[in-house]
This record gives sequence, structure tokens and C-alpha cells, in this order.
Amino acid sequence: MKDLKNIYFTIIAILFLSTLNAQISKAEIRATGLTCSMCSNAINKQLKSMPEVASVDTDLNANTFTVTLKKDNTLSPKIFKDKVEKAGFFIGVLIISIDAAAIKSTNFINVNSSTAVGSDAKIQILDKGYVTAKEHKKLLKSFKNIATYEANSEDDFHIKFVK
Amino acid sequence: MKKIFLLSLFFLSQNNFGQELFMVTDPASNIPANTLSVRVMQSVFKEQIETGYNYHAMPEITYGISKNLMVRSTVFLSTRSNSIIAEGASFYAKYRFFSTDDVNSHFRMATFGRYSFNKADIHQDEIEIMGHNTGFETGIIATQLIKKVAISSSISFEKAFDNKPYYAFPTNQGDNATNYTLSIGKLMYPKKYTSFKQTNINLMLEFLGQTINQNGKSYLDVVPSVQFIINSQARIDLGYRQQLYNSMLRSAPNGVYFNLEYNFFNAFK
Repeated sequence: MKDLKNIYFTIIAILFLSTLNAQISKAEIRATGLTCSMCSNAINKQLKSMPEVASVDTDLNANTFTVTLKKDNTLSPKIFKDKVEKAGFFIGVLIISIDAAAIKSTNFINVNSSTAVGSDAKIQILDKGYVTAKEHKKLLKSFKNIATYEANSEDDFHIKFVK
Repeated sequence: MKKIFLLSLFFLSQNNFGQELFMVTDPASNIPANTLSVRVMQSVFKEQIETGYNYHAMPEITYGISKNLMVRSTVFLSTRSNSIIAEGASFYAKYRFFSTDDVNSHFRMATFGRYSFNKADIHQDEIEIMGHNTGFETGIIATQLIKKVAISSSISFEKAFDNKPYYAFPTNQGDNATNYTLSIGKLMYPKKYTSFKQTNINLMLEFLGQTINQNGKSYLDVVPSVQFIINSQARIDLGYRQQLYNSMLRSAPNGVYFNLEYNFFNAFK
């Protein structure tokens, strides 16, 4: 009986996570702290090591990586931060393309008055580790009324819509 | 008559990326997590006391355990007895404890430790645990990258022990030293990237100094080098080491370096 209960909870957890994360179709990453092609390649290879990744397009001059994901993946934005940091660098900008319906789930907190147009939305993650250190300092001041922003929990993402 | 054998004059050597992949010193940045780097450093240095040249090779393997920690193991080979023999080995770990990045720039700090053993005879004042002495070294490194230029500096404490089983550390020599390095690297080519396949060319200038703590004997060397990064995965370094100042006994301070390196990203599943 105990086993059955565990399985039941596991399935519920997976379903829950899927509904939160399943909808990312693309991620545009601008990495910071590098200017050489071998550094970019380290990030490129880290991103490509994920089975959910269909392709990675790299702009070496801008240190920008456009990651196209396979359908029905369950990735969270955090995976991109982890991968870039594993390569030895940091995220300066992370913009994800996501099903607009998913944004209504509790782990995305819209800190901007803008809203999505249509069913596909592009959002920028504004939390610590997803923007440059300088930008984060500025945002802390701008969002001082948003308690969850300063709390910096890994379970929620503060976002704004971008075009 | 005391035979004067070879020598090795490597310092910490290392690899990381781009302009801060200095030929002789290590930057504060680490290699990426789960990347395996294989490298062979070779050198030919001119004997100062005897005539002739000596050849050293140091094959080494580096692995990135996490984004902040990397480890390395090196074997020291040389031609001390007309054929290539292994004289010792070294274990090294580096931990990046501070990092602040901005677009196209970063400042990082790391601390490192190395333990080496060596069975060669001890024939100079200089303490060098990379291929010469048994001993340890520990220190800190700070590295600043600004666009295409990287500047890195380190300070370390190095202590030599007996080269067991045959050679005790001479009692009339200082057995510990302070080392300091300053390295500058610049990306020269390409001016604009087009692909990962493009060869990168970096120019480096490194200054390496040591002072024996007990008696103040010192040296200062300069090492200009050129580096080619091929296919964003392999590396070839060519450099020349020249003594600028010296007040200690060194058997072969001047010579050339030739290093080859290959990186396996995502080495293990």
C-alpha cells in the first residue's frame, strides 16, 4: 500500500511539474564574462548535452545562444542557468518563448504591466543569476515593493513580457 | 664531481579559455564542469653550467568536477639519463571562490594547492615542484578580463622537501619560497567571429618571479608566447622563457616551450 501511495504521489508530482514547465519552446541566452570562441563552445556543448535540445544557434560576437527545444519537454528556466554556470560563465539575459497559458501558473510572477499577445509569449527572467550583477542591483531597487523578488526563491520566476 | 642534470622550469601551468589560457600560469577561471583536458607540455632549455640542452615533457589530465572546482594530475618526464624517464608526478586542485561577470568582462579569484614528488637530484637554489622538487605550493590568483585583454596575477608559498629516496634537500639552501606571477593576454585574431572552426590567435606576456624566504635570493623571468586555438577545442602554444634578473643558482633558466592540448567537453555522461 505504501508503494502504491508513493507511485501515486510521484505521478501527481510529475504531472504538476509538467504543467508548470512543459511549454518552453525556445530560449535565447546571452552569456556574460567571455569573449573567446572556446568559451562559447564550452557553453554550446553544455547546452547540446541536454536530450531536450533540438538545436543551438550561436552568435559568437554577441555571445548569444538560441536554443530550440523539442516538444513536450519539462524543462524549467533554471536548467539554462545551471548549464551556463557549469561552463564557467553567467547569464546576462534569458528570454524564453513559452505557452502564454503556462504563465498564469503560480511560479511566474509578472512584475510588469505588459501582457502577452496571442498564445505564444516571450518573457525575460529577471531574477538573480538571470541578469547581470549590475542589472540585478538596479532591479532590487525598482522592485523593493515586491517581497518575493528579494526573497530570491528558486521556485518562482519574476518575469516581464518582451517583444 | 657533481653531475648537473636537467631542469624544468615550468611553473603552474594551465589551461582555461581564450586570452587567459596563459602558457605558464593558471588563471582564476576553471575549466568547465565535466570537461576533460589532455595536455602535453614540452620544453627545451639550455644548460648554463654544463653544455647542451635538456628536454622535459609533462603530460597532464585536468578535469572540471564542478563549476568552481577542478583537479589535475601531471607526470614529469625528462631526458636526464639519455633516455626518457619519469621523475615524478603532481596533484593539483583549484577552487574558484569569487566571480563577478558583466557583458564581455569578468573578475575572478581562486585558491589552489599542489603536491608533487620527484626523485631527481637537487642541483639548484630555485624551488620548482613542477618537475624538480618534492614539495607543495599553495596560493591565490586574481584574474580580470576586459573585452579582448586578460590580466592575471598570483602569489603563492612553495616549500620543498627531500627528493626521496636518494636526495635530501640541501641543508645550506632555503627550502621555502614566495612566488609571484603577472600574466597579460590579448586576443589578436579574429577581429570578428564567423564560426567555431575559426582559429583564434592570442599573444601572451608573462612575468614569473621567486624569492627564497630564508635568504632573499630571487629571480625574475619573462615569457612571451603565441597561442593558436583550433576548432574551439584544441590549443597549441609556443613560447620563450628569458631570465631578466637572478641572484640564485639556476641550472637552465632560458629556453623554449611547446604545448599541445585537447579538450573533451561533456566528457562523461
